[in-house]
Amino acid sequence: MSDSARTADRQRQADVAALAGAIERLAGDLALGEEPANFAVALEDGAPRD
Amino acid sequence: MTDLTLAELAAAIAARKISSAEATEACLARIARHDGRLHAFITVDAAGARARARALDAELAAGRRRGPLHGVPLAYKDLCHVRGLPSSCGTRTAEYFTSEIECTAVARLSAAGAVTLGKLNMTELALGPFGDNPHHGDVDNPWKAGHVSGGSSSGSGAAVAAGLVFGALGSDTGGSIRLPAACCGIVGLKPTYGRVSRAGAMPLSWSLDHLGPMTRAVRDAALMLELIAGHDPHDATSSHRAVGAPLAGLEQPIRGLRLALPENYYFDGVTPDVRAAVEQAARTLGSLGASVRPLRLPDPAAMIDVCNILARAESSAIHARVARDRPHELGAAVRSRLEVGFHISAHDYLQAARLRARLARAFVREVFAEVDAILAPTIPEPAPALAAVTAPPVEEIVRRMGRFSRLTRPFNGLGLPVLTVPAGFAADGRPLGLSIAGRPFDEATVLRLGHAWEQAFDGRGRRPAL
Repeated sequence: MSDSARTADRQRQADVAALAGAIERLAGDLALGEEPANFAVALEDGAPRD
Repeated sequence: MTDLTLAELAAAIAARKISSAEATEACLARIARHDGRLHAFITVDAAGARARARALDAELAAGRRRGPLHGVPLAYKDLCHVRGLPSSCGTRTAEYFTSEIECTAVARLSAAGAVTLGKLNMTELALGPFGDNPHHGDVDNPWKAGHVSGGSSSGSGAAVAAGLVFGALGSDTGGSIRLPAACCGIVGLKPTYGRVSRAGAMPLSWSLDHLGPMTRAVRDAALMLELIAGHDPHDATSSHRAVGAPLAGLEQPIRGLRLALPENYYFDGVTPDVRAAVEQAARTLGSLGASVRPLRLPDPAAMIDVCNILARAESSAIHARVARDRPHELGAAVRSRLEVGFHISAHDYLQAARLRARLARAFVREVFAEVDAILAPTIPEPAPALAAVTAPPVEEIVRRMGRFSRLTRPFNGLGLPVLTVPAGFAADGRPLGLSIAGRPFDEATVLRLGHAWEQAFDGRGRRPAL
């Protein structure tokens, strides 16, 4: 592996670790009932009343 | 003629003061004259546009008007599948994306009478905010040569600003409608997630992709939105919610609307001219009867982390074949961003998707209990020099991308409608952008506010000197 490839690989590993760390911190207290599809519900609930 | 807005041209064609053929020839002449510098188009369909315009003129002469865009020349980002034209999606592969159905938004505009002039340049795979493209040429900023046009809907921004076309479609996964609109001094609307079908358009991130109009006036954006919005059975995420009539509501007074200027995040590190322009717009809207107050928003940085996970994982899954089998065909920064996604775990991806729902719900509940809309800068600085932001190393380019799109990306995670409108100009003439974000599915209010500001803005109607 060349020096530039090693540098890119280290950078990629650092980027992935940073993203994973951020999500882990934020997700610590997610409740069992919190699911991805609630996003669409949040938008519909937040819309102006027709 | 190419200084007319889309709505003005549509009215002139309907009144038979201007023919569609004349409007189409005016655009083609302007493309021939200026696109050698701008690189806004990837495909110009001159023959198809001329034939369509002649047919529409004949129909009008016979008393048939297809719809509000009868005879108006438009163009589409090169990730929208348009029947008969290739979709490179900014890659070097001419037909990178194909679809069994035409892009629904394009089909709806065509059904309303639009003429397709061609396909517009974009950042490779829509991955990047600067408008550079190694395969089709860097899209130049019409206002200042050598400066970024904004991306990834770079050709859409430059073509509309330069009067090569009367309106365009862009797509927005992290700011890709709003950034080029702000850099090029035009109007761009990222609708609510689910408001406009994405069927027939190349996906970058299923969770964050939006399609929307890019125009020279707010009225034009409202007109295009009314035509392209609404449920589409070809897009499982498209909403059944009624579109309403944002165009008819544009002239309603803004008195009584409650507006927020964010106390946190959105003004951190922005240049003084950007800050001054947004604050001036807020004062103007206040003078028109809206109330403006400072407000601390739920931390947008958390949503950016969520968006990064979702966007990286989904884009890598979607574009795995080119990224794994033909990586040498991709630019270094695009390759680098796709590569990260291959290493995100399913666990982190799902936690991010769950967090997104929580953050969006909390934001909508907390913020819109206090105000009706948020005012913020679209770009943190006037369009920078392209050579400066694309200088290696690639890790630094990726960091610059993140900084330049930091004000737009949270709204993709939130899914809220955001309109960007010209808000002023830097001392050397580069445009500045004002973002107006509203409640889910309340495009009508952000368009109404944008229209009110546009009517009061002393820079309204200013065009770049090409």
